[in-house]
Amino acid sequence: MKTVCLVLGIIIFLWGPGAEANDFKFPEITEWKQSGEIQTFIPKTLYEYINGAADLYLMYDFQELEVAEYLNEKKASVIVDVYRHKTPTHAFGIYSQERLPNANFLDIGTQGYIEQSILIFLTGPYYVKLNSFNTGAEDEEILLAFAKKVAENLGEKGRLPSILSSFPQEGKKMNSEKFINKNFLGYSFLHSAFTADYELSGTKFKLFVIESDRKDCKDMIQKYLQQTKSLEKNIAEGRYTISDPYHGEIELHWQGKYIWGILNLNEVSLRSKYLKLFEVGLEKKK
Amino acid sequence: MLKKLIGRRDFMKSTLAGFGGLFFLPQIDMKQEIRVVDAKGKERKFIYRTLGKTGIKLPAINMGVMLTDNPNLVRVALDSGVVMLDTAQVYQRGQNEGMIGEVLKGRPRDSYVIATKARLPNNQTTGLYTEEATEEAFLKKVDDSLKNLGLEYVDIYYHHNVWKRESALYEPILKALEKIKKAGKARFVGITTHMNEPEVIQAAIDSKLYDVVLTSYNFQQKHYAEVRDAIARAAQAGIGIVGMKAIRGGSGQTPIVKNTAAALKWVLQDPSMHTIITGFTTFEHINIDLAVMENPTLTDDEKRDLQKEVSVSGLYCQGCRQCLEQCPEHLPIPDLMRAYMYTYGYHNLTHAQDLVLSLNLPKRVCEDCGQCPVKCSVGFNVSPKIRDVVRIREVPSEFIG
Repeated sequence: MKTVCLVLGIIIFLWGPGAEANDFKFPEITEWKQSGEIQTFIPKTLYEYINGAADLYLMYDFQELEVAEYLNEKKASVIVDVYRHKTPTHAFGIYSQERLPNANFLDIGTQGYIEQSILIFLTGPYYVKLNSFNTGAEDEEILLAFAKKVAENLGEKGRLPSILSSFPQEGKKMNSEKFINKNFLGYSFLHSAFTADYELSGTKFKLFVIESDRKDCKDMIQKYLQQTKSLEKNIAEGRYTISDPYHGEIELHWQGKYIWGILNLNEVSLRSKYLKLFEVGLEKKK
Repeated sequence: MLKKLIGRRDFMKSTLAGFGGLFFLPQIDMKQEIRVVDAKGKERKFIYRTLGKTGIKLPAINMGVMLTDNPNLVRVALDSGVVMLDTAQVYQRGQNEGMIGEVLKGRPRDSYVIATKARLPNNQTTGLYTEEATEEAFLKKVDDSLKNLGLEYVDIYYHHNVWKRESALYEPILKALEKIKKAGKARFVGITTHMNEPEVIQAAIDSKLYDVVLTSYNFQQKHYAEVRDAIARAAQAGIGIVGMKAIRGGSGQTPIVKNTAAALKWVLQDPSMHTIITGFTTFEHINIDLAVMENPTLTDDEKRDLQKEVSVSGLYCQGCRQCLEQCPEHLPIPDLMRAYMYTYGYHNLTHAQDLVLSLNLPKRVCEDCGQCPVKCSVGFNVSPKIRDVVRIREVPSEFIG
């Protein structure tokens, strides 16, 4: 039995994310040379590279960062940062925290966007940032060329978390979806959640969904009710209206492995409509 | 040469070997005031300290907002008694500042203190600025931050994440900071450091420009004594001192602390520390902070918790001094343990040798007792460590330096 476990452990280790990371090679780019050594940062040393911002990356199960700098003869440079997170969902989480909803989006990796002197994209468990310096009028062209090569070397581009397709489309702000890895709504018992921002006739609100197993969902509902001093003897699947002292009235629904709900929306009929739409979306996902 | 050595030894005795190296500091008059605050309808008495020459009065704990995009958490923090919000343009690519701006809408401008920060391109290996780091680029950063925040000015604008003296004194940024202050875009300017803090803090003192230092400082820091000495000098020079990484640790540290309140209180025991920013993400954590804001005095249980945590690595003497009475030779064991830490923890042989030589030890050390009667409170086997570290006396100082 011990031998089996050991062999399995070795296989998992070799085929796990660590192996993927070791497979990644910074690409060769025509007319550009890599300058110096590739720098590697792990959770304990990430502060050395991105200082206080490291804390947020660590919350999204950051595993490793590799940094390469390229130079050309015109003394322009491009720095490529490849952050690897535990899973594609964690990588999406940190990407979604930093994504600018009105950015100039590109078809690169799972999703990406470009601004002056910076191109950012997500692909699988990787979150990639390319910064350019002294690239002049060719800035965009250069960044795109680099990004394509880097994306190719990072393998399958994957796709955005499938649960995002369950969010109702009507009123949803493009590219506002986020993954919150811990302490959703400021409560440690609420683990992780996906959220999206909405706006309908000037009314802004937020939808969310938590995915876990049935027992865990029940436990979360129970703790939330206790926290908000809402008396409920039998916790059953269905609709709950919670008077949250910090967030106001929250309407949510628990069914199986999902808890979904609405924040910041006073109109009761609209709440019901959106909870129903969400339910339909989650049904389709199954 | 001799004169220089004596001076350095004297310095070591008066700082590292004395006050600075103690894990727990004696309670002294902290020059702090107690304010009665309406915290969400509940009257609470919070400890306030003055942020150096800025004159800004702040509660002992404030909020580092970098970890949350939850505006209600920030609202609750402000409504509960937190006064200062600390952010940076780099956090969530400006969206953190934007979220704070939304929270601040409608609040009186004098009801909160806002601090933000920026940095320019630099060489990650050397910590030195590259030629893209210009005065104009830095000036643009403050305008971007003000736009994100929806404010006409910030209270503190920091030069962010510096770990080299040369970068702390980088002329284009110093000029930009002066202009920012003169233009009224920031009331005060500061510098932040997560690594090599003592060097950066000394540069901040020497610059005579920086009003505030935001520095990593925590009980697990291997070089906390040096950081403590540096912030003492900075506070003496009138610089406001803000602590960070009190809980999560910083570069090279394990980001786990078992007793959060104790970790915060450990930092606040330092009279040079004016306030701490903590990056909380839950309402539970706010309540822990509020309790510390009311009473930052370490309890005996909390001291024990910290001692347990910090002694795990077997390098960091807690300075309890219980060993002094147990040693028949009356050896200065805490100082020797610190020398051991300098040698094997920091790999700073100069500090270790200076300290050992300053102790005027007998020729034979820890060689004549049959069995060492010292029972260290955190379990150090002190005798072999002492025998090991005193060998450094025999090494020529030229060789070490």
